[in-house]
Amino acid sequence: MTEEHYRHVFVIIEHIDGKLLPVSLEMLGEARRLFDDYNNRYSANEKVVAVVLGDNIQNLSKTLIEHGADCVVVADDPALHSLINKIHTKVICQICLDKDTASKIEPSYASEFQRPRYMFFAADGIGRHLSSTVLAELDSGLASDVNKLVISDLEISHPVKTGGKKIMYNKTLEMYRVDFSGFLWTTILCLDNTNENYPLREYSPQACNIIPGAFEPLKPDSARTGNVIDFKPKIDEDDLKIKVLSQKFVESEVDFDNYKAVVGFGRGIQESPEKNIKLIEEFATHLNAQIGTSLPISKNVFSASPATTSTYMIPARVIGTSGQKISPMLYIAFGISGAMQHLSGMEDSQFVISVNPDENAPIKDASDILLRGRLEDVIPLLMDEIKKQLPEMEIK
Amino acid sequence: MSELNLAVVVKLEPDLSEGNISYNADGTLDRQKTKNTLGPHSKIAAQAAFYAKVKYGGKISIGTMSGHAANNALQIAMETCDADLLQLYSDHKFAGADTIGTAEVLKNGIEKMDGKMDIVFSGHRATDGETGQVGPQIAWKLGLTFLGNVISYDVDMEKRTVTAKRLVNLRGVPEIIQEIEAPLPVFIAIDPSYKYYFDTVSLRLTAEKYKREAHERAQHFDDYIQTFTREELGADETLVGLIGSPTIVYNVQRVPKGKATRSAKVLDGSNPEHIRQTVTAIKEAFSAMVIK
Repeated sequence: MTEEHYRHVFVIIEHIDGKLLPVSLEMLGEARRLFDDYNNRYSANEKVVAVVLGDNIQNLSKTLIEHGADCVVVADDPALHSLINKIHTKVICQICLDKDTASKIEPSYASEFQRPRYMFFAADGIGRHLSSTVLAELDSGLASDVNKLVISDLEISHPVKTGGKKIMYNKTLEMYRVDFSGFLWTTILCLDNTNENYPLREYSPQACNIIPGAFEPLKPDSARTGNVIDFKPKIDEDDLKIKVLSQKFVESEVDFDNYKAVVGFGRGIQESPEKNIKLIEEFATHLNAQIGTSLPISKNVFSASPATTSTYMIPARVIGTSGQKISPMLYIAFGISGAMQHLSGMEDSQFVISVNPDENAPIKDASDILLRGRLEDVIPLLMDEIKKQLPEMEIK
Repeated sequence: MSELNLAVVVKLEPDLSEGNISYNADGTLDRQKTKNTLGPHSKIAAQAAFYAKVKYGGKISIGTMSGHAANNALQIAMETCDADLLQLYSDHKFAGADTIGTAEVLKNGIEKMDGKMDIVFSGHRATDGETGQVGPQIAWKLGLTFLGNVISYDVDMEKRTVTAKRLVNLRGVPEIIQEIEAPLPVFIAIDPSYKYYFDTVSLRLTAEKYKREAHERAQHFDDYIQTFTREELGADETLVGLIGSPTIVYNVQRVPKGKATRSAKVLDGSNPEHIRQTVTAIKEAFSAMVIK
């Protein structure tokens, strides 16, 4: 393996009209933490490289360096003003493969550098697509929705990759992603093919897109220094025929921020989805609470009337890393077992009550009270008691 | 002003609907017992193609990569969009592919369809693998302009351009709706919230006619299936299946329990005194609000 051809971690920065998205600094923070260790263990000269594309964005470099970047590659061009996948993909690939840029990032690797070793994108409405198309062009591997990263030397034996032989893969990025149920954590590796029955293939960069909120940004340090590299992108004339006609912000269909209480439900509705949702609806009305759900509910797991499905079984209601993050005064979770991805969406609630037949469900660890029972049994009792203790006037 | 040449790539997925899905005791999906069907996002992609067929006229080809005969998925897809042609890419050499190895097969498949495509549709993401990468990667390999999270679109048949609205979801800012214009050919990954409607009586009548036709045709969908092996597709064997996949699944584990952030008091939901305590806690949570 010719690993000296592959250097650095490239972090693809996202911003809207020059305003950095939080995930950009979170990715930089994680890249910095990984590379502080990496620089000690392996090579001191490999860098955290922030790559930022846009129009009139020179002022972002300082913030990016303060948050962990060793250098910032800036492609500043009016053609990069709008989010157009095709144009951005091509420019990112140009930057990844450009020898001149590589020599400015780290002169000592100038002659051997071919491509980045690692690449981070955001797992959001920009980065998901961009990472896919960039890695299709660079012809390497991509893991999505990653929330944990480790760099290690692994001895791997794989029937196809290594032809069953034990091979050391050094500086391998272990990319952890959570499956849709929220309970399984899969480690994805991007590995060269060393199987002797096939042509040798090297896959670099090892890339992933990262869930927003999964990592902490660093505290900005104004003493940090870094170099800023201007990159002149080559834009294909033909691609300029793709035009953004308008771009506007819209409010989410489901607003959690303006509610003091939120009621959530999950797979616990399963025995009678329609009836149970009606019950939850009634309960929420009593407390003037907004209604949210766990992720599986939005995936057509349960059948219900079209009205119920289109109101409640939708992505906009999901609380968690794949949905909205809430912080009400009171959160009541009905029949939610508590996958990590849900917990990270509700953990900022002031007071949490969960209703679950299993008193050892993971949600317990994020609750102040766990009321043991099936939601269909417990809700009517709670409502009767609420009517006694909390006349409706007082609640609203 | 020739008609549109349309393709849809679809996926056979575990049927997550009630009665068909099975979970293991630990909350993970029981893949053995869970039935398979046309993925819900694939179905929306087929509906989006149907919209173009009715409104602008055209031909629809459907492609799927599957080790199963995938009949159920192809039949539903055909009925959904009145497809004219079904293609199944099936070869044990395709097994175990990651997204780029899968995209390579589907790219080769689309190139085997009749003529050059104007629009290729895919779902937003699969519900089982749910990486959302295959669509954009096929687009890139075919050299098509990729438009993701499309919630509505229209075609200007004279200019041969498409105008699409895209929903862009980002953490930390409100949702963005972007309106974008691009010359054909394009690849559209359809957003789950996509809905079409036909605004004239004549379009609604055409749609009805096509739906009847589709229903008839789907009864004999077997007659329309073309099956391709790797060799028949002409796909490079080092670019598909496990050998064509840069990534592997190294390990699968239960997500470790996070540190408890709170220590819950466990109460019994059938005990009236405990119900009373719970509601008192609710009341206190609300009065804390008032103080604030």
